[in-house]
Amino acid sequence: MERKRSSKTKVMNIVIVGCGKVGISLVDKLSREGNNITVVDKNPARVQMVTDTYDVIGVVGNGANFAVQTEAGVAESDIFISVTGSDELNLLCCIAAKRSSNCAAIARVRTPDYSEDLSYLKGKLGLTMIINPEKESSQEIVRILCLPTAIGVSSFARGRAEMVRIKVPKNNMLHDKTLAQLGPQLGGSVLICAVERDGEVHIPAGSFRLKEGDQVNFICPTRDSRSFLERIGFNTRQVRNTLIIGGSRAAYYLARQLIQMGVEVCIIENNRDRCEELSDLLPKATIIHGDGTDADVLREAGIEYAESVVPLTGIDEENILLTLHTQEVSGAKVVTKINRMMFPEAIEKLNLGSVVCPKDITTNAIVAYVRSRSASKDSNIETLLRLFDNRVEAIEFVAQPGSPVLDIPLKSLSLRDGLLISCINRKGRILIPGGDECIQAEDSVIIVTTHTGLRELEDILV
Amino acid sequence: MNTSVIRYILGWVMLIEAAFMLLPCGVAVLYREQVGWYFLGVCLAELASALPLIRKKPRNNIFYIKEGCVATALAWIVMSLIGCLPFWLSGEIPSFTDALFEVISGFTTTGASILPSVEALSYCMLFWRSFTHWIGGMGVLVFLLAVLQMPGGFHMNLMKAESPGPSVGKLRPKVRQTARTLYLIYLGMTALEVVLLLLGKMPLFDALTTSFGTAGTGGFGIKNDSIMGYSPYIQWVVTIFMTLFGVNFNFFYLLLLGRWRQALAMEEVKAYFVIIAAATGVIMLNIGRGVMGFADLLRHAAFQVSSIITTTGFATIDFNLWPQASRTVLVLLMFIGACAGSTGGGMKVSRLLIILKTALREVHSYIFPKSVRSIKADDKALSDDVVRSTHVFFVTLILIFAMSVLCLSFENADLVTNFTAVAATINNIGPGLELVGPTGNFAPFSPFSKYVLMFDMLVGRLELFPMLVLFYPGSWKGTFSRPRQAKQA
Repeated sequence: MERKRSSKTKVMNIVIVGCGKVGISLVDKLSREGNNITVVDKNPARVQMVTDTYDVIGVVGNGANFAVQTEAGVAESDIFISVTGSDELNLLCCIAAKRSSNCAAIARVRTPDYSEDLSYLKGKLGLTMIINPEKESSQEIVRILCLPTAIGVSSFARGRAEMVRIKVPKNNMLHDKTLAQLGPQLGGSVLICAVERDGEVHIPAGSFRLKEGDQVNFICPTRDSRSFLERIGFNTRQVRNTLIIGGSRAAYYLARQLIQMGVEVCIIENNRDRCEELSDLLPKATIIHGDGTDADVLREAGIEYAESVVPLTGIDEENILLTLHTQEVSGAKVVTKINRMMFPEAIEKLNLGSVVCPKDITTNAIVAYVRSRSASKDSNIETLLRLFDNRVEAIEFVAQPGSPVLDIPLKSLSLRDGLLISCINRKGRILIPGGDECIQAEDSVIIVTTHTGLRELEDILV
Repeated sequence: MNTSVIRYILGWVMLIEAAFMLLPCGVAVLYREQVGWYFLGVCLAELASALPLIRKKPRNNIFYIKEGCVATALAWIVMSLIGCLPFWLSGEIPSFTDALFEVISGFTTTGASILPSVEALSYCMLFWRSFTHWIGGMGVLVFLLAVLQMPGGFHMNLMKAESPGPSVGKLRPKVRQTARTLYLIYLGMTALEVVLLLLGKMPLFDALTTSFGTAGTGGFGIKNDSIMGYSPYIQWVVTIFMTLFGVNFNFFYLLLLGRWRQALAMEEVKAYFVIIAAATGVIMLNIGRGVMGFADLLRHAAFQVSSIITTTGFATIDFNLWPQASRTVLVLLMFIGACAGSTGGGMKVSRLLIILKTALREVHSYIFPKSVRSIKADDKALSDDVVRSTHVFFVTLILIFAMSVLCLSFENADLVTNFTAVAATINNIGPGLELVGPTGNFAPFSPFSKYVLMFDMLVGRLELFPMLVLFYPGSWKGTFSRPRQAKQA
């Protein structure tokens, strides 16, 4: 459901350098939200393709070149985003853009070489945002491996709250209960905020009756998620070992985090030199030189005994096949990384389980920023998450002083339909709000809604 | 093919035409002309048939270049069929073929007329006839894009099909803004011309209709002798504005933004002015000083040259009587046409430049067989695709041209008449030479030849391919079959 753009919002002039997967996905999302977009790419065919498909203007050339930037109208732009394949070029583009205009610059930087000191880079170069999709997605994978029975885990409120997606299994206690019945049984601060059943998404009210096979999204303080899952009869033991197939950058980020948590990591990598590099960087990990797409190599690496497997080859098709293979030969928890959702309908049918899409993570972070910039008043979106094929959005707003929603009990606010105030972070304390709770200034409020495209907290009102 | 989207677009085009038809109604009220009722009647009937078409939004918004071409070509045909009704129903142009010819000539900004005496028409008819130039000049679909919020990736494919030039770019990030900017420039320049003509003591009605004819580079006059009877001041104003409307509108946009340097560096615009100056010079030399004074000679030469190169077709003198070299220059100018991205027709200066540069490269690579050299326009390398399609365009134009001349030749008119009649219609100019010269008209042709010429006008205005796509059987393959349902697992 596309929200009609209210006249009070500003139209952002955005320049996007690089028409790769992420670039195109950004063009898609941002142009749909009504922004004026100019794309820049060296490859004329790509620019042609993008300008044919979307209502944007294209410039062919190197995005760091002054003439190209002038032609693309960087001087009049509000936001400059560089997502070419090269980190150095992205940084250079942003620096050049910052020099010639007062825009907010966003760069994608993926190599560990730079990403160790992101905040330093960001501060010194005056960038608004540096995004590292590989690192972000490996963090998401780590969160899932910590709660292996969940399908997906996303974090809100700077990691203090989590949104967890589970599938209600057969003969589970949740089956055939209304949310109102469940409330007292489950206790604690947990809120079920979105349910998908037979391809339809519901923002459930108290009378909503859960069924087995439902995909349920609940939100709760991070420390409570495990105990809640235990109470409803899920096994919540965190994995003790992980087999990573493919030694990409994402594998490095993932392995490093897992090792820090004390998980045993084994990486299978095809390229000898890369193996040696990895073993330098990750002395505690087991590095195996071999073809990860060979069933024998996998068996030798112990895929049948692994508690979790994460295929991270650069090729989506391989990752999907590896997931299917793993599901056949072992009971390990598998997390699949898919860079480009080519055939979502077909992939949906494969029952891959947990799927992580780095492109979406990047896009969501940037869209969140653009939306808060284009809101009429000061607005601050901390996190934006799209669920169920972009049909539902979970948005974390910071309540600004003077907002009309402040200090009114939630039950007296006239909220839109299909919208839920699911969680409030008050100075680090996570509240699952009842009807008497009020939003206070400086709170961060997590809204779950089917009205996609909210820009500011006031948009929750009818 | 996505027929529901095409239906929707056609509905909107009809609605817009109906709205435009209210203007001649107003004129009829002012001059108390009874024939105005025909406009009101057609307008209401069109409104009534358009509303059901747009009531339902299209089921799916899938819209590729194929739909863009078909929608554009159909829109122009439908628009012409309806636009000719007032002429025909009122009996001011008794034959349907003639009425249709006149209106297609108007919308395509050709300005070729079948009327032996223009002055016999009533004011509201004259107004509508000139106003079709203004509508057709920038294009009705571009207008549609400017006023209507279209969903999805519609935009470029419609704009591409209707706008002239080898490659269509945008001025601003969104199609809607671009279309609005174009129409604002168009409207502003038309208004400016009206004011300047009024200052030259031209009556308001004449000033409006002449400005419409100039802005769309159409060329319908409201006098039998076109612009000949007006003062030299008025003729100069019209000359300057014809030239300006033949300039790529990007040029004006850059000027508006204050980017003078970039505007003046536009290769096509420079070449365009050089061609005008050179052609004027040659004609002045050819006619010589004996016949008239230098000022008159300059005025007539400049007027005729800019009238022909911008494909307007006004005349201040019967150039059919000029010496052969001057006549030949004018016929050559017919094919060059105005700049891409202007309201003019013809092959466009930018295409000519590309063709010349490729010819030059061919010569160069003949002596240096291994040399690599890219074709550039405004210091940017053009992709092989653009170069290839430019050549295909040229060849196709010549083919259609030759076939049309052949079709016309069965009437036993002389070759110059047939040749220039086709050249003047396919390039959207209007008057040709001999029988179809500035003082002649297209009435003597048989209905068959008239339909051939109508086709040429539409093909010329839409730059060949949208019209050809419409008649290409492959475009319609599978149009009426439903998508097959996926098998349920």
